[in-house]
Amino acid sequence: MRRTVTAILLAGGALALLPWLGLPLFYESFLYLVLHWIVLATSWNILSGYSGYFSFGHGAFFGAGMYTTAVLGTRLEWPFLATLPAAALIAAAMGVVLGAVVFRVKRVRGELFALATLAFTFVVGTIILNTPIDGGPGVSLASVGIPKLGPSVPGTFYLLALVLAIVTMLAAYLIARSKLGTGLFAIHDDEDAAEVMGVPTFRYKLGAFAISCAFAGAAGGIHAMFVSYVTVGETFSITVPLSVVLMSVLGGTRHWAGPAVGAAAITALLYAFTTGDHALLGKAVFGAVLIVVILFMPEGVLGWAVGRLRRRVQPTVASAEVPRPTRATRDMGSELLVARDVRKSFRGVQALDGVGLAVREGEILALLGPNGSGKSTFINVVSGHYRADSGSIRFAGDDIARTDAHRIARMGIARTYQIPRPFAHLSVLANVALPAMFGAAALDARGARHEAHRWLEFTGLAAYAHAMPADLNLHQRKFLELARALASRPRLLLLDEVLSGLTPGEINGAVDLIRAIRDQGATIVFVEHVMRAVLALSDRLVVLDHGVVIAEGAASTVLSNPDVVTAFLGTAHA
Amino acid sequence: MDIVRRAIVGAIVVAGLAGAALAQQPSGTPIKVGSTLALTGPLASTGIVHQLVGEIYVADLNKRGGLLGRPVEWIVKDDQSKPDLARTLYEQLITVDKVDLLMGPYATGAILSAMAVAQRYNKLLIHHTFGIPNLAKYEGQFPAWSLGADPANTFNNTLHDALAAQPNAPKTIAVVTSKFPSIHFMALGEREVAKKRGMNEVLFLEWEFGNRDFGPIAARIKDANPDFIYVGAIGLEGNQLLDALKKIDYTPKYHFYMYPAPGPMVTSADAKNALAATMFEEHVPFVNNPGAGAFVKAFNERAAKAGLPYTGVETQAAASFTAWQMLEAAVTATKSLDDKVLIDWLKKNRVDTIQGKLRFDGPSNYGDDLMRVKQVQNGKWVVVWPKSVAAPGASLQGP
Amino acid sequence: MTLPSATLLAQSVLSGIFIGALYGLLGLGLSLSWGLLRQINLAHFALAFLAAYLCYQLSHVMDPLATLLVIVPLFALIGVAIQWVFARFRVSPFNSLLVTFGLTVIVEAIIQGIWTADFRKLESSYGAAKFKVGALYVPVPELMTLVVAVVLALAVHVVLRHTDLGRALRATAEDGPIAAAFGINERAVAMGLAGVCAALAGVAGVCLALSYTLTPSQIYAWIGVVFATVMLGGLGGAIGPLVAGVVIGVSESLTMAVTSPAWAPLVSFSLLIVVLLVKRGAVK
Repeated sequence: MRRTVTAILLAGGALALLPWLGLPLFYESFLYLVLHWIVLATSWNILSGYSGYFSFGHGAFFGAGMYTTAVLGTRLEWPFLATLPAAALIAAAMGVVLGAVVFRVKRVRGELFALATLAFTFVVGTIILNTPIDGGPGVSLASVGIPKLGPSVPGTFYLLALVLAIVTMLAAYLIARSKLGTGLFAIHDDEDAAEVMGVPTFRYKLGAFAISCAFAGAAGGIHAMFVSYVTVGETFSITVPLSVVLMSVLGGTRHWAGPAVGAAAITALLYAFTTGDHALLGKAVFGAVLIVVILFMPEGVLGWAVGRLRRRVQPTVASAEVPRPTRATRDMGSELLVARDVRKSFRGVQALDGVGLAVREGEILALLGPNGSGKSTFINVVSGHYRADSGSIRFAGDDIARTDAHRIARMGIARTYQIPRPFAHLSVLANVALPAMFGAAALDARGARHEAHRWLEFTGLAAYAHAMPADLNLHQRKFLELARALASRPRLLLLDEVLSGLTPGEINGAVDLIRAIRDQGATIVFVEHVMRAVLALSDRLVVLDHGVVIAEGAASTVLSNPDVVTAFLGTAHA
Repeated sequence: MDIVRRAIVGAIVVAGLAGAALAQQPSGTPIKVGSTLALTGPLASTGIVHQLVGEIYVADLNKRGGLLGRPVEWIVKDDQSKPDLARTLYEQLITVDKVDLLMGPYATGAILSAMAVAQRYNKLLIHHTFGIPNLAKYEGQFPAWSLGADPANTFNNTLHDALAAQPNAPKTIAVVTSKFPSIHFMALGEREVAKKRGMNEVLFLEWEFGNRDFGPIAARIKDANPDFIYVGAIGLEGNQLLDALKKIDYTPKYHFYMYPAPGPMVTSADAKNALAATMFEEHVPFVNNPGAGAFVKAFNERAAKAGLPYTGVETQAAASFTAWQMLEAAVTATKSLDDKVLIDWLKKNRVDTIQGKLRFDGPSNYGDDLMRVKQVQNGKWVVVWPKSVAAPGASLQGP
Repeated sequence: MTLPSATLLAQSVLSGIFIGALYGLLGLGLSLSWGLLRQINLAHFALAFLAAYLCYQLSHVMDPLATLLVIVPLFALIGVAIQWVFARFRVSPFNSLLVTFGLTVIVEAIIQGIWTADFRKLESSYGAAKFKVGALYVPVPELMTLVVAVVLALAVHVVLRHTDLGRALRATAEDGPIAAAFGINERAVAMGLAGVCAALAGVAGVCLALSYTLTPSQIYAWIGVVFATVMLGGLGGAIGPLVAGVVIGVSESLTMAVTSPAWAPLVSFSLLIVVLLVKRGAVK
């Protein structure tokens, strides 16, 4: 990490010498444009590329920055440089306001988020056009003095943009390597799973959005001085939002430097065709180049380059030897989880209709019931994936019925998904390290990696640490789910049909594993249909039917209960 | 000294054009004139006009012996309708292509960007399409479009003079305008002028540039039924409004459009008696101005060859031609390519152009307001006011 | 501010409905390709304008509506050809944005090369035709656009919901490999749909040509509002974009009728943000 940071700073320092090399000043203006787009595209990518929340509203924040500088510089006569932090701050504040509203609504993802941000751009533009901020005539910055930072005016702009570009790219790089970045990449692949594993998705998205907007605002402030005349029509058009998307996709959205590559490429290309003789032909060629590049480099230019360099890791066939951990003393007895009268309905379907049950510390509780009885819903509600309509769920004394999922994870509840939901773009190791970072264990990056290695060994997946989830088969993916759940060192582990789809031999191994997990000190609630596993593992059974508990107790009692038999097999017709 | 110089310049220009066949071939290293134009992008529909005019002028100039005996080479780049690109390209023209002289780009935004660059290098910038005089602060910039320093006041008064002279002069006015910068301030000025001239404002509407739906606006105009509609329109907005008015069966009485795209408006059946602003039309006395006759013919031909639907010379083309005339006059009179010398000369002298005699000694180097009022009559644009420059026999037609 | 008359309001609402219908018509093809083919097709607008220009050109020798006979099959073919390229390269949704942007730029350059950047207006007998319903004026070209938009939206909706082809399309969109396992020819279905989307762009282009003056850069003027229409109306639907378009159009026209028209985009887009925060499910 330090190497890359040093490299960026050194490159930046070298580039900063350019204005003193005595080149024709036009090059500095041209490079200013390139750097300007690098800032815009890289900042956009921090939210949209990393987390997958494609924003079509980058223009709104860029424009807000432009107008902040324009208004502060002309009407309040602030010195130009002082307006830049203000531009960044105002843009960031606007982003936080929009994000606070929009990110809270679970449904607003994907294209709805794009729509909200696009609409926001038009709203801001119209407000600025119709209020004294602009009002119609545009704002001329001719009266604002340009500070003397470089040997010439183009040099000054170049240096300003260079500094901003370096800061932006450093931010993009550091974020990508940080906990925030890991969380964002997880959100990109599966936001709900990320939240359940402890990633504070709302806070992270808001933070990334604010940072992204701040850089856009600062870039806008500088650009206002560069063009020296700001109008709404020029600023709040679809050009900026569309361009940053294109540049980032061209360069590669997963890589921190991808957008910079795309921005430089597109700006240079567009520029190459400015001779007056063949303007139209140049335009057509530009379009053709874009098409060809992305068809042959679907991961973007940088993505393609990085893919070439990275050696493909071949997963070796490993023996599924499950190590036996040492026995720990069990502390059974106290009630760890108490659910009382929990209700949850989905558009008329009452999935949970007043569920009440208690889970004692250190026990293995089996949750049974026919299809549609509400078992998975219960798990989802306890883990925070869904919010209960009513009722209480007390975990170690605290009511978590209306707590955010990531906080529930922090408190020590982990779950697996019936159909494994690994983060597709993260390696197996990274998948397991994430809950170690964000869950109850709350380890730092290095500690999380160690913990991940430990649990991969425990589940027999050590050889696949650097493979991608797509390389694993179903059995391995199920164990990956287990490893993820365990890595957060939960007090309560919720397993959702972890054995479904496994062969008898694999089931035996899994049963041993689950027992070993309980012996490590975890409390387990598991939903299962494989009866021999249920009988082998569980201390108690709870049976759900149509959203209510119909029986609970030891296996022998519950399974001979006539209501339970009816629920599973129907009534006998004599 | 002024008068003598003026006469010399006028004589040179007229003689040069008249004696094209007798001119000598220019020789030596070319004089490079650099500019950008919007050859692609939203402004391209008018940018092409300026490209044609430049080509016509430079070709003719070289036929007459070039500038100072040397051939003239025009380097034009495509700023893609983007002011930030225009600015960078002007920087390239000056520091890399090392052009001797600059010519302005198309439209206010790009001109302001270019102006900042010209200012930094102390270069003369003659421009032809700048719409907001009070923003032009650089002392080395000169407008070829004679708006005058305060057009919101002077031109609107000219317009009202024309209207007041009518037997059934309008008494009520609706001012409806786009919020496009170079239009908006004119419309706001008109509200003041109308008030001062005793007209009753019955409606004031503004719309965002790029508005697609003129239905409600038309309906409100019809409801207000003003004697006179002042439409702050640029490009196609005037046509869109007229279409919308037609669709609800409303024929405006007196109606004026600020800067409509000339072709669509003059060919539209609904635009009968539409008034607009202009500096040049293809009839007497304008075509009698220095250089006008030959230019009009050349432009008609070239525009037709380029496939443009409208091939007439009007404000845009005329302003562009004027800009080149100014450049040629200054260089020829001072026998210099030194920008400072040229700037000084232009400030103190008058140039004979197809718009008439221009001076540049007012605020922001603007001179007289030479904007006229034209009207669509029988499918043609004719100037109707002031009477001194109106087309022969033409007068403002009322409803 | 005096309250506007009922006629004024009604006429404005009508105006909003007409332009909303055009948004919906332009959005129809975009919605289908985005929702069912997983492509964000910017070139949809370029194709619409290409069709508009072709209609303009051909209208010199035939009735503008008759140009549909040429344009619809031609554009269906173009759509299929483009989809063939997409299928061969397995283009992802966001990469499709880049590819179609490149296409848009190329088509714009072609249009400007042939017809110049200057303004082109189709003059037809329909242009001036209108009739009165009570106190309201109904212009014919806009009415035609509305009728076409409604008919096509309904037709596509019926096909999607109630025919095997529609089910096959929706199944393929949801899960291609599984649909293929059930015997659906993914490729053929995708190419057919792409052809239909392009043909829809062609029809929208003809409607554009009937009512609007054309210039190449106008391609971009519609992107913002039509994207908003499609995103609001729900991807992959046929009625949704039409309803959303009308909502946007009417909210803007009502604003223009009662207050300064310059506020119109604020009202429509704020409404949009509110609706998408509050509504349950897509507007279908």
